[in-house]
Amino acid sequence: MTYVIESASLSKRYGDVLAVDDLSFNIEAGTITGFLGPNGAGKSTTLRMLLGLAKPTLGHATIFGKPYGELDEPALRVGAVLEATDFHPGRSGRDHLRMLSRAVGLPDQRADDVLELVELQEAARRRVKGYSLGMRQRLGLASALLGDPDLLVLDEPANGLDPEGVRWLRDFLRDFASRGRTVLISSHVLAEIAQTVDRVLIINHGRLITESTLEELTARVGGVVRVQSTKPDQLALALHREGIATSRPNDHTLLAQGTTRERVGDIALAEGIAIHELLTEGSSLEEVFLDLTSEVVAP
Amino acid sequence: MKQLRAELLKIRSTRTTTGLLVGLIALALLFTILTCTLSPISQLLTEREQANVLSFGSVAGVFAALAGIMLFTSEYRFGTIRPTSLFNADRNRLFTAKFIAGMLSGLIFGVIGEGIVLSVGVGIFKLRGVGLVMSGANVTELIVGAVIGTALWGAIGVGIGAVVPNQVGAVISLLAWGFVVENLVFGFLPTIGRFLPVHAADAMMGSIQDKQLPGDVGVLVVVAWALTLAVVGLALLRRRDVT
Repeated sequence: MTYVIESASLSKRYGDVLAVDDLSFNIEAGTITGFLGPNGAGKSTTLRMLLGLAKPTLGHATIFGKPYGELDEPALRVGAVLEATDFHPGRSGRDHLRMLSRAVGLPDQRADDVLELVELQEAARRRVKGYSLGMRQRLGLASALLGDPDLLVLDEPANGLDPEGVRWLRDFLRDFASRGRTVLISSHVLAEIAQTVDRVLIINHGRLITESTLEELTARVGGVVRVQSTKPDQLALALHREGIATSRPNDHTLLAQGTTRERVGDIALAEGIAIHELLTEGSSLEEVFLDLTSEVVAP
Repeated sequence: MKQLRAELLKIRSTRTTTGLLVGLIALALLFTILTCTLSPISQLLTEREQANVLSFGSVAGVFAALAGIMLFTSEYRFGTIRPTSLFNADRNRLFTAKFIAGMLSGLIFGVIGEGIVLSVGVGIFKLRGVGLVMSGANVTELIVGAVIGTALWGAIGVGIGAVVPNQVGAVISLLAWGFVVENLVFGFLPTIGRFLPVHAADAMMGSIQDKQLPGDVGVLVVVAWALTLAVVGLALLRRRDVT
């Protein structure tokens, strides 16, 4: 399989501090991946190495099969926002985008197009110092979209956004990914992106802690699947055959331990058992995330 | 070429360059008007004396160097180095574009600075009944030297900004070098001091002070300084992580 992003044993050392430690992962096309970890976990350093801004101490990373710097006009394939504050305060939002457009040979009209896309056209000619944080986040996103990229890499894009802004961002990224494009989005708060991402990479102390879908993540750390059926005994037997432990809180309900809704649904379908309710219970995602990232990892 | 267009837009799209231009125009006017009106006529009669006054346009070099410094340091100060580096991942191309943009903006600073000093100065000479005794060739050397020297100062500024990305540090380094260090070295050790960039650039405008280099050697020395800083700055730019 060809991956959009491939990170192989990526490491970065700053003096005595190992910011990123032997980090390997792959990102498939058409997915929205959450890159999670507490502050200082090494997320931003990793993204900078992916994007050719920082040199790895060891390992290597490729985007579309090549190091970022070796891509032909990388900004036309990869859009990235690393900080919400990367603007000259005395320059207008439109001029910021025109300046970047010119660097890759795009017409000035493209700057106006993306300003409209992020609904910032009214403020386009105002100096950035007058922008709110939410407006700056949108301007950053506009700059990432200038090259009409196939991959978006966003570092903490929801930081400082109000709920409406978070919702706007979520809808925007969903729409972006629905056209077969790929998004890698970092955050230190799982809840911020839980409704947006398909899968998560969780790192702490520069190391990969886990890589999975959200549901697998929940199941792995003690989540249970509640299932209601008219044939709970038959379903329990089928689940046991697949190595899934169950309990029976009442006549029609089974609690399947350490599995996913999809797996229970598939087994029930194979057995021809009707299901009336199928939902994941157990630890909240945030609890799972905090649990995983609070583990002490030796530096 | 694409990055050069981007760099030229960067220069035009903030008030920094306008501020520097206003400062240059104000300083050039102030100095020229005060010097040409207050100096006794007896001190404005020889070619050397007139060249001393009319070469003040070289002050544009300071402003051009500051503008050049801003081309890199403001990128680091405001974080725009990140999008700039993402949109142009080739550090060689990025540096070259900034180097040329610094020279072009320096050229404009030079034309404006020397243009003001020469036109206003000669105008005041005329009003005071002082004829221009400088030969046409010397006036040409003065103008060409000032303009090219200022353009090279723009390039030197870009080099300084690449070497010292901290804006305050870079500006202080430039001013301390230009106004203190070079004058001390030239004062005590003129044989060495004349090879330093400010005095070599002055030499490009003709023989204004004793002990200076010949004009053509001055050009070579300033170009060498600009290229040396460019090589060091580019090496650091390629090596340094963008954090």
